[in-house]
Amino acid sequence: MKKRTLKRTLTGFWLFTLAFLYLPLTVVALFSFNASNSAARFTGFSWRWYERLLGNEEILSAFANSMVLAIVSSVIALVVGCLIGYGMYRHRHRKLGWLIVLIYLPIVLPDIVFGISEMAFFVQVHRLTGFLQPGLGTMIIAHVTFQIPFVALIVYSRFVGLDPTLFEAAKDLYATPIKRVFHFMLPTIKPALISAFFLSFTLSVDDFVISFFTAGPESATLPIYIWGAIKKGVSPEINAIATLMIAAVAIVAAISLIFSRRRQA
Amino acid sequence: MTDTLTLEVADVPSAEVEEPTREASSIEMQGLHKRFGRDTVALAGVDLVIEAGEFFTLLGPSGCGKTTLLRILAGLEEADDGRLAIGGDDVTEVPPHKRSVNTVFQSYALFPHLSVRENLAFGLKMRGMPPGQREARVAKIAEFIQLGDLVERRVDQLSGGQRQRIALARALVNEPDVLLLDEPLSALDAGLRSQLQVELLRVQKRLGMTFVFVTHDQDEAMVMSDRIAVLNGGVIQQVGPPREVYEHPANAFVARFMGHDNLYSISARNGDRLTTPLGVLSVEAAGEDDLLLIRPETLDLLSGEQPGDNRLLATVTERLYRGSHAEYRLDVGQTTLQATLNNRGRRLPEVGDRVTVSVAPEDLVTLSK
Repeated sequence: MKKRTLKRTLTGFWLFTLAFLYLPLTVVALFSFNASNSAARFTGFSWRWYERLLGNEEILSAFANSMVLAIVSSVIALVVGCLIGYGMYRHRHRKLGWLIVLIYLPIVLPDIVFGISEMAFFVQVHRLTGFLQPGLGTMIIAHVTFQIPFVALIVYSRFVGLDPTLFEAAKDLYATPIKRVFHFMLPTIKPALISAFFLSFTLSVDDFVISFFTAGPESATLPIYIWGAIKKGVSPEINAIATLMIAAVAIVAAISLIFSRRRQA
Repeated sequence: MTDTLTLEVADVPSAEVEEPTREASSIEMQGLHKRFGRDTVALAGVDLVIEAGEFFTLLGPSGCGKTTLLRILAGLEEADDGRLAIGGDDVTEVPPHKRSVNTVFQSYALFPHLSVRENLAFGLKMRGMPPGQREARVAKIAEFIQLGDLVERRVDQLSGGQRQRIALARALVNEPDVLLLDEPLSALDAGLRSQLQVELLRVQKRLGMTFVFVTHDQDEAMVMSDRIAVLNGGVIQQVGPPREVYEHPANAFVARFMGHDNLYSISARNGDRLTTPLGVLSVEAAGEDDLLLIRPETLDLLSGEQPGDNRLLATVTERLYRGSHAEYRLDVGQTTLQATLNNRGRRLPEVGDRVTVSVAPEDLVTLSK
């Protein structure tokens, strides 16, 4: 009897947590289909806000910026982070190996501190050299900087999980250093690379604070656009963008989860 | 899932399985030194010649340098000093991927991202063999090692014994000059282990390939090897066929490592009569050595007190009954002596019995400290 009560209580908690997390998202999704522009009353189903989206140049350009930023920064972060992850693995027994915690700084530092620092840095560099004018370029650099530790950590933990003798077996079986990279190391960590890429991608699309401080006048991303639009009041159009973003992130997260599952198997 | 272990390698008609025609290679090591860090000496000058086609075992306790020596042969470790030649060619500075040497690793080291078939073909692929030839060679080795449908499996679907056989096939398929085996059976349970010992031995004899085998198990070394090198502290203590190493150990370390406990210091000698803590014993030929070795299985136990030449009076203090034989711990005066008696239906002396130990002079061996 007692056990049953406990079980019911726990199920209740679980349902409450789910509701707490997903109810607001559901409300946004629901009102994105609202026929009227009321944020309080659902008057009927309609696609009109989605149609309005497609006709809004500003939104489309913000979306394009978000995609370019996310893809380019994720690709760069993947290459650099992969090399760093491998370096961390190779030198994990070194005396100064603990210094590598420095690479995790962007993970623990508050975004706003990170964003302001990047902005101050870019402004100085621009003032002194004329390079690094705030825009998509500076945003890509900033995003790569905070994505790298995640990629490096994922790659590093994949290497640590491997039998170290595998590296020797590859050598023993006539693989030259180049062939070891392409026939052993990269195929072995491929699932880790895929999930690292998707994580970087979602982090980039998600980011507002760092983007906000490093963006230029022409390089607003979706989150920056939304923030600007919301100052004029929440329109059902924003609900529609939010719904699309929720759907996109959910799909990417699901793919990433599938690959990390397969990695563990 | 059961192991599809078959021990009929020797029975496969040789017309079906074409044997490699290349000649086996010898290995020559000269003054190999290896140090790790400042203080750890792994090899302190190893000179050794391994003959072509030999099943050669490096035997010793952990940290004796046997694995380091094997890794130097593979090229995975570089010697600080000394030279190494395989098949007459100096390979001291040749990197592992350019040596015609393959290794069966202790952890098997099968690539998890590849199927069994791809694992088997890996070495051939890296050497640039075209796919058609690769498949033929893989099929040949799979038949030779009798892998059956294991070839179609994923690596994570294999048991320990199966992984071991795949690792062996993955190395052999390259037809290397020398095959190196780093404690390949140590992770397996006793039954599987002795089956695979037999299989490994048969494979080696049929291929006539030079095998260098590393183990810390002296029984395994004796069963498998043409010759054994016993290592300790990075130095070779003795090299010889199993019988020689077991019956005539070069020194106290080798004797103890081969499982001998009956070692007695010689305090005085008079011709072939040696004074030991057990008493005075005659040997066939007494050199200048200072230790006497009595192998337990050479002793005979007579009931009661029957004094005579080369006989010792003793009391049984412990008996371990092993079925086929019994192991005895005896007190000869203040000194302990171990004896092994075959169980041939006679009465086995019991704890507390007074017995007479009969020692044949030709079975006694002297050795240096």
